[in-house]
Amino acid sequence: MKKTLTVCPYCGTGCALYLVSDGGRLIGVEPSVTHPVSRGGLCVKGWNAFAFVQHPDRLTTPLIRRNGELMPASWNEALGLVVERLQSIQQRYGHDSVMFCSSAKATNEENYLLMKLARGVFFTNNIDHCARLCHSSTVFGLAETLGSGAMTNSIACFDQADLIFVIGSNTTEQHPLIGTRILNAVRSGTKLIVADNRRIRLARHADLHLRHKNGSDVALLNAMMHVIITEGRMNRPFIENRTENYAAFAENLREWTPERAAAITGLEAGEIVVAARLFAEAKNAMIVFSMGITQHSHGVDNVRCCAALALLTGNLGRPGAGVNPLRGQNNVQGGCDMGALPDVFSCYQPVADPGMRQKFARAWGVADLPGSPGLALTHAMDAAAAGELQGMFIMGENPLLSDPDQAHARQALQNLELLVVQDIFLTETAVLADVVLPAACYAEKEGTFTNTERRVQRLRKALEPPGEALADWEIICALAERAGYGGMRYSGPAQVMEEIAALTSSYGGISFERLDQHGLQWPCPDAKHPGTPVLHVDHCTRGPGRFSPADYRPPHETADDDYPFVLTTGRTYFHWHTGTMTRRSHLLDREERSAFIEINPEDAGRLGVRENDIVLVASRRGEIRVAVRVTGMVIPGVVFIPFHFAEGAANALTNNVLDPESSIPEFKVCAVRIRRIV
Amino acid sequence: MKFLSAERIADFFAALATSFELRLPVMLPDGTRSIGTLEDGPIALQGGALDSKPTAVFFPQQEVVFTARDGEVPDTPLPARPLLVVGLTRCDLDCLRFIDRFFAGGWRDDLYFRQRENAVIVAVSGYCGAGGSLLPLAAGNCDLELVWDGSCWLVVPYSESGGSIADSIADSTGSGALQRIRTESLFHIDEGDAIIRRASELLRANRVPDSFWEEIGDRCIACTGCNLVCPTCTCFGVQDWRYRNVVERSRMWDSCQLAGFMREASGHNPMGSEALRSRRRIHHKLAADPERWGEISCYLCGRCDAVCPTGIGIVAVSQELVARFE
Repeated sequence: MKKTLTVCPYCGTGCALYLVSDGGRLIGVEPSVTHPVSRGGLCVKGWNAFAFVQHPDRLTTPLIRRNGELMPASWNEALGLVVERLQSIQQRYGHDSVMFCSSAKATNEENYLLMKLARGVFFTNNIDHCARLCHSSTVFGLAETLGSGAMTNSIACFDQADLIFVIGSNTTEQHPLIGTRILNAVRSGTKLIVADNRRIRLARHADLHLRHKNGSDVALLNAMMHVIITEGRMNRPFIENRTENYAAFAENLREWTPERAAAITGLEAGEIVVAARLFAEAKNAMIVFSMGITQHSHGVDNVRCCAALALLTGNLGRPGAGVNPLRGQNNVQGGCDMGALPDVFSCYQPVADPGMRQKFARAWGVADLPGSPGLALTHAMDAAAAGELQGMFIMGENPLLSDPDQAHARQALQNLELLVVQDIFLTETAVLADVVLPAACYAEKEGTFTNTERRVQRLRKALEPPGEALADWEIICALAERAGYGGMRYSGPAQVMEEIAALTSSYGGISFERLDQHGLQWPCPDAKHPGTPVLHVDHCTRGPGRFSPADYRPPHETADDDYPFVLTTGRTYFHWHTGTMTRRSHLLDREERSAFIEINPEDAGRLGVRENDIVLVASRRGEIRVAVRVTGMVIPGVVFIPFHFAEGAANALTNNVLDPESSIPEFKVCAVRIRRIV
Repeated sequence: MKFLSAERIADFFAALATSFELRLPVMLPDGTRSIGTLEDGPIALQGGALDSKPTAVFFPQQEVVFTARDGEVPDTPLPARPLLVVGLTRCDLDCLRFIDRFFAGGWRDDLYFRQRENAVIVAVSGYCGAGGSLLPLAAGNCDLELVWDGSCWLVVPYSESGGSIADSIADSTGSGALQRIRTESLFHIDEGDAIIRRASELLRANRVPDSFWEEIGDRCIACTGCNLVCPTCTCFGVQDWRYRNVVERSRMWDSCQLAGFMREASGHNPMGSEALRSRRRIHHKLAADPERWGEISCYLCGRCDAVCPTGIGIVAVSQELVARFE
C-alpha cells in the first residue's frame, strides 16, 4: 500500500489528493485535509481521478501507420521517423511549415520543453495550446488593462468578498471546490449576482440572476458602468491614483443607458440598474468569469469590460476583490506561463524582442531563435485546411472534438503530410495520426502544475506508466536528441524547473524543494519570496490600470428563419472536455452516458419533442443526433449541448469565427435548427 | 496490566509487522492522518478519528473481483498473512460491526471476508483525541485496545489473538488509570448523539417537508464525498474491463447522491431529483436502518461533516432539521 500526494488532473482549481495504490494497482484516492484550496474535500471527478489510469485502452507502445493502419513500432523507429519527417517537411517548405501543439494537461516542465523544442531545435514559433480555445482573450485583455493575464486574487479571497459577481462561469460544475466557496459565502451573507442565461446552481442562490442574451455581455457591462458613473458611485480616488484613460472611457459609456442595453440583452433596464448598484455598493466585490465571457468573437472586449468594472469601483489589489478568470484545465495557467504560445517565451517575454531571443538563445546554446510570432492554434488549423501547413505535432490534445467546426478540423488534420499525436489514449485525433507516441499520465510522472490562482504545485509519481509509455518530458528530450540537439539532457523535471526559474522572473524563486506540500503562488521572484496571493496591490503590473473602451459587436451568427435557435456549448459536471479520461471512468461515464441537448419546455412544445426523444440538430456546418432534455435550465430560443461526446459532437455545429485580437473561436454562440427523428 | 511507553510503540509495531500485514495510523507528508503502512509515514496514533475511514482496508474504494482469462476464473489465493488494523475508535468499531453484519447477510461477501476473516483489530482510546481530548473506551468489539492515559499506552486485550499480543509485552502497570478512563467514558457525551436521535424521530414521524430537502439538494454539488468517507456506506458499482482474452471485473464505492445510482434502463429514476437523493442519504441512516437493523447507522464518526464542502454532512443537516421542525 502506498499513498502518493499529488494534484488532481482535471480542472484549474488544483485540489490536492492522495493516490492510493496497492501492489502497483490504483485502488482509490483520499483528499488532503490540510490543503489550502481543497481543505479536505474533492469534487466527483477528483474522487474518481484514479479510475481511468489503468484502463486497458491505454497506449502502451508507439504506433506507426503502415498501409493505412496504425501498427506497433519501437521507440527507436518512431522517434527517428518523427524527426526525419518533420525535418524533411521543413527542408521543403520552410521552418514554419510545422506546428507544435502543447498541452494544458501536461506539466510546466513539459510545456517549457516543447516550447524549447519548437523554438530552439525546430526554429519555429509555431507553438500554441488549448489556452487559445479557452482564455486567450483573458490573457490578451488583462495584459492590456492590468498587465498580467491571470486571476488577480486567490481562491481564499472568496471567503472575504462582500459581493461576488459571476458572469459566464458555471462554477459549481466546472470549478466545483471554488463553487462551494461561493455557496458557503452566500450563506454567510455575501451578495451574489449571476449573469448567465442558464439557470445554473449558483443562480438558485443568487440575489440577482441576469439571464441576458448570449453574446450581449459588453452591452450589459457597459450599461452597468454607465449607471455607476451617472449615479456617481465610482471610486474617484482609485481612478485618479491608479488608472489611465478614464475620460475617454467614460465618454464612450455616455450612450450606454440601461434602456439601450435592455434592448440588446433582453433584460429589464431596472435589472441592470440593480446589478450596478449592488456591485458598486459592495465594500469588496469580486468579478468571476470563465468561458461565458471568453469564447466569443468579441472575447477580448468582454474581458476589457470586466477589468474596467473592477477599476471603476476600485475593486483591485486587495483580498476579496479583483478580476478572477477561472482557468479551465489543471495546467492551462502553466501552459501559458511556460510560453507554449506563438508570441512569447516563458512568462510572456516576447519573441519579437531581440534581447529576449538573445537571452534564451544563450541559455539554450543555440545560435539564433525565430523572431516573428508563430501561428495560433486556430490559425494553424485554418492553414492546414488551406494546405499551407504540412506537419503537426500534437501533445495531449484532441482537436477533432475540441476545435470548432469539426468538418473543418477533420479536413485540416487529414490534409497534413505528417500528423504526430502524443497521448495517453488513442483519441479521435490520434486515430488520424501517422505516428502515435504513448505517454505517461499524471499519476505516472513528476512535475508541476500551476492552478488558476497561480499556485505552482508538485505532482508525484504513484506508479509506473503502462508498457513502454514514457513521460511527455522524456519523449520531448528524446526527440531533441534525435534531432541532434544536446541541450535537453536532464536528470528529471526538477532540473528542468531550475532552468525555467533561471529564465523566468515570476518563477525565479520556485524549486521542487520549496514546492513541497502546498506550492507557491507566482510571482515568486527569488528563493526567499513567499509567493503572491494578490496581484496589483500598490500598482498594476503594467503601471496604471488601463480603461479600455469596448463597443458592442453582436455574435457572428444569430438566430434566423432557417436556423431559429441559438446554440451555446459547454461542459457537464461529470465529464472532462473530450471525455478521453472521464468516459473511461465508470461512475462518471454512468452519470452522463451520451450526448444531449437542453431545450426549454416552451420550445419543446413548439417543436413537438419530449424528454429523451432523439433530434437532429443542424447548423450551417454540420448536423448531429442527440437526446432531448426538456428543462428550464435554458431560456426559450437558446439550446445547450455539451461537447464531450464523439457520437454527438457539439463542435460539428460550432462556428470557427475568431476574435480578431486573441483568435479565440466563438464556441458560445451559433445558430441551429432542430428536428425530431425518434 | 501491560503498557507501552510512547518510545516503545515503533518497536512494538515493527515486531508485529513480521507476522501481520500491518495497517496503522500514519502521518502523511502534508499532515493528513490516514491508515497506511510503516513505510507511508510516521506512526500517528494520537489525534482522534482518522481523516479517512479505516474500514477501507477491508472494502477499498476499488478492488478487482476476478480476472477471467479465456473464460476461466482462477481461484484467488487467500492473503499470505492476516491483517492487523490499528487505530479504530469506538465509533469506528461500531461501524465495522455494522458492515460485518451487512456483508455477512444473504450472500456472504467473500471478497470482504477474505481480508476481514482473520484480521486482528486494535482500537485506540483514552486521552489521544484531538488536542488530548478523551476518546471513549471501546471496551470490546475489537481484539486489543491501546488506551492512552496521558503518559503511556495501556494494553487491554479482549480476544485470544489480542491476548497473545499483550503477552509479548514485558512492562506492567496497575489498572487505576484504566478505571478512571472507563468511568469518564461512561459520562462521555457526544452532543451529536442527541441531535441525530431527535432528527431520527422527526424523520420517522414524517415531520420534515419536501421543501427542506430541496434546500439541502440545492446546496449539494454531488461530490459524493459523504458516502465515500462513511464507514457504514456499503454501496458499490461494478465494471467489466474486456480486452483481448481477458475480462476483469472490479467493484468501486458508489454513491446514492448520483442520479445514475438508481436510474433504470428505461431512463426512469425513482430518485430523480437532488431533493430525493439528499433525503435518502439522511433518511437511510436515521429512519430506514433503525427499522431494518434496530439501530441508527450513523455512529458520529464526523467524516461526512468534515469532507462536505458545503456543510451538509449528517450532523449539520440534523441540526438544521431539529432547529426548524422540532
